[in-house]
Amino acid sequence: MTGSASEGHDLTDLDLVARWKGGDQRAATRLVERHAEAVTRFVRSLGARQEIEDVVQETFVRAFGSIDGFRGESSLRTWLFTIARRLVLDHRRSDRRRGEQVGVHDADVRTEFDALDAVLADETEQRMRAAVDRLTPTQREVFVLRVGEGMSYKEIADSVGTTEGAARVHYHNAMRAIKELLDD
Amino acid sequence: MTDCPNGDVRDLLPAMLHDRLTPERRREVEAHLSGCDDCQAELALLRAMRSTLRRTPAVDVAAIAAAIPPYRAPSRRSWGRWRAAAAVLLVAGGTSVAVLRSRDTSPAIGDTTVVVAARTADSMLPRGSATTSAASTAPAPRELAIGGAAVSDLDDTELSTLLAGLQTLDAVPSTDVENTVAVSPLQPTGTN
Repeated sequence: MTGSASEGHDLTDLDLVARWKGGDQRAATRLVERHAEAVTRFVRSLGARQEIEDVVQETFVRAFGSIDGFRGESSLRTWLFTIARRLVLDHRRSDRRRGEQVGVHDADVRTEFDALDAVLADETEQRMRAAVDRLTPTQREVFVLRVGEGMSYKEIADSVGTTEGAARVHYHNAMRAIKELLDD
Repeated sequence: MTDCPNGDVRDLLPAMLHDRLTPERRREVEAHLSGCDDCQAELALLRAMRSTLRRTPAVDVAAIAAAIPPYRAPSRRSWGRWRAAAAVLLVAGGTSVAVLRSRDTSPAIGDTTVVVAARTADSMLPRGSATTSAASTAPAPRELAIGGAAVSDLDDTELSTLLAGLQTLDAVPSTDVENTVAVSPLQPTGTN
């Protein structure tokens, strides 16, 4: 086993990947610690419901299982988002085949966040959350990545599978919609 | 809340929030912010939004980490599959083998297997990347063809050319679709 990754908070993602490939399983733990929250937020923004944790776990398992396909051309986080997004879409398709109503409707998202509302003490936050919920799925996805994660349009385009120009348009449309909703 | 007419600055506010601007850009945005109430209000909204969005449902990081198996180096099965395919091409000619024929010699009927394979491989490649096709790798006036001569009849140059052609067939499956698909030009952004 190589040196402890638990001490390696300054190590880059690629350093940690190399350590994991060298047999240091703690490097994988460090990477999960580093990215799990962001992946979880992203999965939630996609309208995933009760299976959020399953999707997050599967994202990491698949990512590490095909780590040799990651060439560092994008950030590891962007790559994780791409995998998570595909998983959510796969879950949705399989749910649809089972005949479940799984479109990302406002009602679904509101139901999901009802539980979260319990821990959101601040009314303003609840209003902002509600405004985000009312965005279209693509607007919400882009807005969360841009504002919540601070990603560039290029990174968003890579994660979402669109162009930088389209990501920019979605962001500004989302921003305009949120302002209108909050002004109501 | 009204929108500042300076869309370029508004576009940069999320990057400003996440401290992802170059020092020069940051100074530009800060200079604008100092005199723009609309952008100050928008930045404050974005800051509050970020705080809200970053509230995350708890996930069990330890459980996720425990589910990750140890690293396993990839097998070379795909290489082996293509090597086997190349071998099949040779065997497909029966006991006959490949010879190199000059372009001015008409190929015999039934002698086109490798030619077809080489052209098929060529057609799988993106336009403009002809350097990896067997046909284009062979010397210009020649092409691969199944003929009636034995491998032992080939001289060193012909054998080298044949092997080079087969080697390029191996390269086809490693053509990375993801890399070649992303060819659309980037939109000019002016932002990060």
